[in-house]
Amino acid sequence: MNENTQAVQRPYEGEKNEAPFSVPRLTDGAPARLVTLFGRLGPQGQRRVRYVFDVGAPEYFVAEIPADGPIASIVPQAPAAAWFERELHDQFGIEIHGHPDLRPLVFHDNWPDDVHALVDDVKDVPWAHRDYPFLEVQGEGITEVAVGPVHAGIIEPGHFRFSVVGDAVLHLELRHFYTHKGTEKLFQGRPADAGAMLAESVSGDNCFAHAVAFCQAVENACGASAPARAAALRLIGLELERLVCHIGDFGGLCTDVGFIVGAALATRIKEDLLQASTRCCGRRYWRGVAAPGGLRFDWDSVAVKRLAQSAEAAVREFKDLAHVVLETPSIQNRFEGAGILQKTVAQDLAVVGVVARASGVDLDVRRDHPSGHYATVQTKVRVLHYGDVMARARIRVEEVNVSASLIQETAAALPSGPVRAPVQFTGNVCGASAVESPRGELYYWIEGRENRLTRCHIKSPSFQNWPAMPLAVAENMIADFPLINKSFNLSYSGCDR
Amino acid sequence: MILDVIGRSLRQPSRLIPVEALMENSEGSRMPDVQPERLTVDIASRVAAVCPTGALATEDHNGRNCLRLSYGHCIGCGRCVEAGEGALIPATRFRWTGVAKDQLVRRWDPSSRVEIKAETPQPDAIRRQVQKLLGRALNIRQLDAGSCNGCEAEIVALTNPYYDLERFGIHFVASPKHADMLLVTGPVTRNMAEAVRATYEAVPAPKLVVAVGACGCSGGLFAGSHAVVGAVDAVIPVDRYIPGCPPAPAMILSGILEVLGQRSLR
Repeated sequence: MNENTQAVQRPYEGEKNEAPFSVPRLTDGAPARLVTLFGRLGPQGQRRVRYVFDVGAPEYFVAEIPADGPIASIVPQAPAAAWFERELHDQFGIEIHGHPDLRPLVFHDNWPDDVHALVDDVKDVPWAHRDYPFLEVQGEGITEVAVGPVHAGIIEPGHFRFSVVGDAVLHLELRHFYTHKGTEKLFQGRPADAGAMLAESVSGDNCFAHAVAFCQAVENACGASAPARAAALRLIGLELERLVCHIGDFGGLCTDVGFIVGAALATRIKEDLLQASTRCCGRRYWRGVAAPGGLRFDWDSVAVKRLAQSAEAAVREFKDLAHVVLETPSIQNRFEGAGILQKTVAQDLAVVGVVARASGVDLDVRRDHPSGHYATVQTKVRVLHYGDVMARARIRVEEVNVSASLIQETAAALPSGPVRAPVQFTGNVCGASAVESPRGELYYWIEGRENRLTRCHIKSPSFQNWPAMPLAVAENMIADFPLINKSFNLSYSGCDR
Repeated sequence: MILDVIGRSLRQPSRLIPVEALMENSEGSRMPDVQPERLTVDIASRVAAVCPTGALATEDHNGRNCLRLSYGHCIGCGRCVEAGEGALIPATRFRWTGVAKDQLVRRWDPSSRVEIKAETPQPDAIRRQVQKLLGRALNIRQLDAGSCNGCEAEIVALTNPYYDLERFGIHFVASPKHADMLLVTGPVTRNMAEAVRATYEAVPAPKLVVAVGACGCSGGLFAGSHAVVGAVDAVIPVDRYIPGCPPAPAMILSGILEVLGQRSLR
């Protein structure tokens, strides 16, 4: 996943700022998939916008345009850009022409319109009061149901505004960013080593994926790479995190349809994995393990083998459970046909991860943009076409199998040697990295000078997938919302940062 | 099919961890402890220098130069253990959960190599009142004020068959109006501050508020961010603190029971 540093220097050669950036096309003429777009500041503080697309090659397509003046929205060509451009508008104060909806995204009513957190001084920003109009659906018999930010379970905060007719949802509008912590700004001025810590706190249950993506971005920027043993252990950690996440999600789906036996067994298997991880490396979730250049410490191969055995045992039990659950008629009744996300919608909104693969979109960073140890293994990618809750459940079950065999394979042939390589963070550097986190493609871009980060952009899969969720909920019963939402399993904190 | 499920369930051995094994257990949380006999002035200043959150600091305490460890700030990164030459170790027994804010702080005198013990405080009025009213039943409303979801993942784990919080008569409830205790995670973000206050107001008195995790206790890594107001106690009154990043489920459970003063109960 080495980003081509030549591409970094290449500005977009439009005649004027207002000229619309044209979205690259694939060989069949279809528009390329938007990976991310974000703002950064040039050496003299000039605002610039960077676009990253997946053009079907291992290297991502990268382009940058100046944005001191207004820029043209790419939403008409790439609807997936809608939230990205709103964020750009909020955080960088970049004027965007032709965007259908530029309401504030990141900060709520309390934030003044004229403060843009990633370019302005944000010390003691005064509390403001501004309005946020929700889309109003009008007509006979239409009721609005407002849910959140504080929900009824142990869940992160977010606001959902349903417009319903009887039980049927006509429209769902999201309002997120309740957990916005200004994380991207907090990276600025930190040494790379301290940045890894912050990356781990972007989305706690996917902490290792975030840490690895960040560390690989630093390594790519500095022309370093993690030693083979570290890369292999990273793969084991990433796949273990996927197992924990997918098995937990499967239990969550059981909970949301009242299938308590399945839920209890899945949470137990998840806990088995976390305890096995504690025995292997002293951590339930892999915080404080990854570091730029590799890992912070090594552990003996016997412990790793034991972890792989525990994972295998857990997965064997899970497969058995999943089979029983998915063959149960009452489960099939609830899962099948609920929350269908059409393939065209999934493509327009450039969704990633399990959600994309359940809607017929064939992508997986591990296979398409392999980095680290993934370049040496074969990752099987399963795709289903129904796009419903059942498809998302089945994809998770399939992926648990794939992750288990990747862990086995890697643990059986664990390379020896050091686990950390030196990283020379000198001069002006920038680099990117993508990792297939349990929720999908996670992309980090960092920029720094003399071991200080000056910018870190995080494209989390949840940020990309949230806008698609309301479209899967529309026309379903409102009572199915928790189930559909769980089947997406998106992180609020990962989205809000 | 349903018989198959029931059969499967009956064949499962019990995984319940006995309460004795959970108390003071901090396995997997990476909280540090100090071996005072190995502590030197040099090590004290070195570990204070590597601590990324200021959990470890050297300070003057009643005329003695001491090493101060504030668990509320600690994210368990392990840098002090690496730099501490055996004077700092990962804690195996951990008592500093479900305690008052000043009890999160420990001090050692590196020249005389002893811990400077604080006085044991008396249980306060609200705690006694809730205990008297409720006995062993407790309804908890979990409130995420802006966390990274790491603490939520561990709180959810309390309901799995290993920890089974319900055996203590403790339930998670859907509405703050049904709650006796608010279990609050995360630094309070600017966008959540109003909702946090409203949720606190909705809990009927007498109420207990417990801040969970480094962010909830001190703001953690997010302290000072433009998008964050601060720790939970910057917005609502907090009675007790459960540190850790994230605290392991056993630590959260010990903390809740400590708040209720039930440690010795079965």
